[in-house]
Amino acid sequence: MTAVAAPARPATRPRPVPWTRLVWVTWRQHRVALGGVAVLLGGLGLYLLIMGLKIHSGYASVMSCHPAHSAACLTLSDMFNRDYYTSAQVFSVFLLVLPVLVGVFLGAPLLARELETGTFRFAWTQGCGRLRWVIIKLALLAVAVTAASYAFSLLWSWYFQVFFTEGLDGPLAQQYFDLRGVDFAAWALLAFALGAIAGVLIRRTVPAMAASIAAWTGLDFAVNLFLRKHYQAPLVTTSSTIWQNNWVMGQWYTGPNGAVLSQQTIRNLVTHAPESVQHSPNPNAVTAYLTAHHYRQWASYQPESRYWHFQLIEGGWLLALSLVLLAATVWLVRHKAA
Amino acid sequence: MNVIETAGLGKRYGRTWALKDAALVIPAGYVVALVGPNGAGKTTLLHMSVGLTTPTTGRITVLGSEPAGSPAALNQIAFVAQDAPLYKNLSVADTLHLTRNLNRSWDQQRAETRLRELGILLDRKVGKLSGGQQAQLALTVAVARRPRLLVLDEPLSSLDPLARHDFMASLMAAVAEDGLSVVLSSHVIADLERLADYLIVLSRGQVQVAGEVEGLLAGHSTLTGPAAAVDDLAERLAVVYARRAGTVAHLLVRNNGAAEPVPSGWEAHRVGLEELVLAYLREPGAAALPGPVARVAHGSGVTA
Repeated sequence: MTAVAAPARPATRPRPVPWTRLVWVTWRQHRVALGGVAVLLGGLGLYLLIMGLKIHSGYASVMSCHPAHSAACLTLSDMFNRDYYTSAQVFSVFLLVLPVLVGVFLGAPLLARELETGTFRFAWTQGCGRLRWVIIKLALLAVAVTAASYAFSLLWSWYFQVFFTEGLDGPLAQQYFDLRGVDFAAWALLAFALGAIAGVLIRRTVPAMAASIAAWTGLDFAVNLFLRKHYQAPLVTTSSTIWQNNWVMGQWYTGPNGAVLSQQTIRNLVTHAPESVQHSPNPNAVTAYLTAHHYRQWASYQPESRYWHFQLIEGGWLLALSLVLLAATVWLVRHKAA
Repeated sequence: MNVIETAGLGKRYGRTWALKDAALVIPAGYVVALVGPNGAGKTTLLHMSVGLTTPTTGRITVLGSEPAGSPAALNQIAFVAQDAPLYKNLSVADTLHLTRNLNRSWDQQRAETRLRELGILLDRKVGKLSGGQQAQLALTVAVARRPRLLVLDEPLSSLDPLARHDFMASLMAAVAEDGLSVVLSSHVIADLERLADYLIVLSRGQVQVAGEVEGLLAGHSTLTGPAAAVDDLAERLAVVYARRAGTVAHLLVRNNGAAEPVPSGWEAHRVGLEELVLAYLREPGAAALPGPVARVAHGSGVTA
């Protein structure tokens, strides 16, 4: 072809732009969003810290009250529950939306804003290339989201620990499972990954946020309602005393021949029981009556000892799903025609 | 060396081809004007040259034989997209810092000197700069990367006449200083006359004209003569475009290198760049492609 080919070209490949410089780029471009997340988590964390100290000292005074069954001590215990437990329950429900806020706030604009404003044409044509650019950004922000969320959930666990110790709630309780262990951080990471891929697919910040919030919420509901209980086969028992901290999934009765009875059959049995049983002051009288006639009450449940199993199963697949989404995002940025 | 080389290059969006079967060789050392009407495929071609768009068919290499969009290629090409996108929320100083950190080579001194000459303050937010200043900043940042090839997509379209003049002065200064190759697209032909020394006309997704401006101007002339004689003349000469005004006809004629005698009854004039481009754009069937295009199209078949 043309005579002037080889001599003008450098013989070696250029060394890539050092990662450290790209760390600065990531920090400079996302420090406002990171600051926002820090303020949000920091503010809520401060509240948890203050309330946590109050709860712990309040609990200590309840514990040290002597004699424990005196009227004064019971009043103190009631006051503790009224002052702290209810508010802690309500507050914790609001915290369930925190992972999606943090994750989507950082994840969705990451690529959507570049695509929306056209700055990707600047960013992706620089010497470092778009592959390194997107990898470093996703990696650093994913780590930031996960670490901050994990720290926050540790603080929450400490804040709420007293109520678990008291057995007021089981560790597998649906409303708190997401807030503890590795689950909170894993859900936040998933929200970030969903936001990032929605950003590159939808290419607009606000719709990408809306889509990833919707996807995250749908998945969270599905897991809470349908999926989590199937992580391990539930145990079955006829004992009615061990239910306290376990996660009861279902109850039913069997008749003398071992067949499962419908609710209606049980209701009929109870309404035809003797007056003495139906109006007995003893709340267990009905159960005792049914047991005496060889009707047995069954329950299926997940024991609280499976808490960490469940945490690791859920954290594990959430992590895997997040990594798949992040890898798909990198692939899209690398291959998608802009 | 060729700064951009394509063979059978095509890009299809849905059912329409933005660019089709483009064979093109742009040698180094020129300021190349890529002109054509809106939708001719200029942006598509430039985006493919920096890897922002992947071809549907064919291939494109830059700076010798680097695949377009590869890290090695991007390291030596600076691209300023249409409307000069920059991060509006960053300050000018941060924009420089950011670009420095995204690249292997960077000349901070030079960037700062240029901005000082232009009166652009380092602590201003990019979003607060005028359109002309933003374009100048984008050019400064691109040139400070010390590229071997500078690709500009419609750099002048959104600028007012004064900003346009200043921008071109800056660009010419950079070319003079570095000797870098430039490829810029525009649909404003008049502005390019002083700047460009190589011309590519794209029309309906096809390369219609490609060549050195000087050679193209020397290789064409306009003839004015009797309209009745046009058909007769067209059999002997390569008439690109004929415009009849009453009994008088104006022709753009390609003289294929040989200086042909002016036919009797006709008057010859030198052709201007704008006139040449417009004539070709009005006659999409005509083409003026130099030899190398055909050679490369052939050569690519051998190497592929």
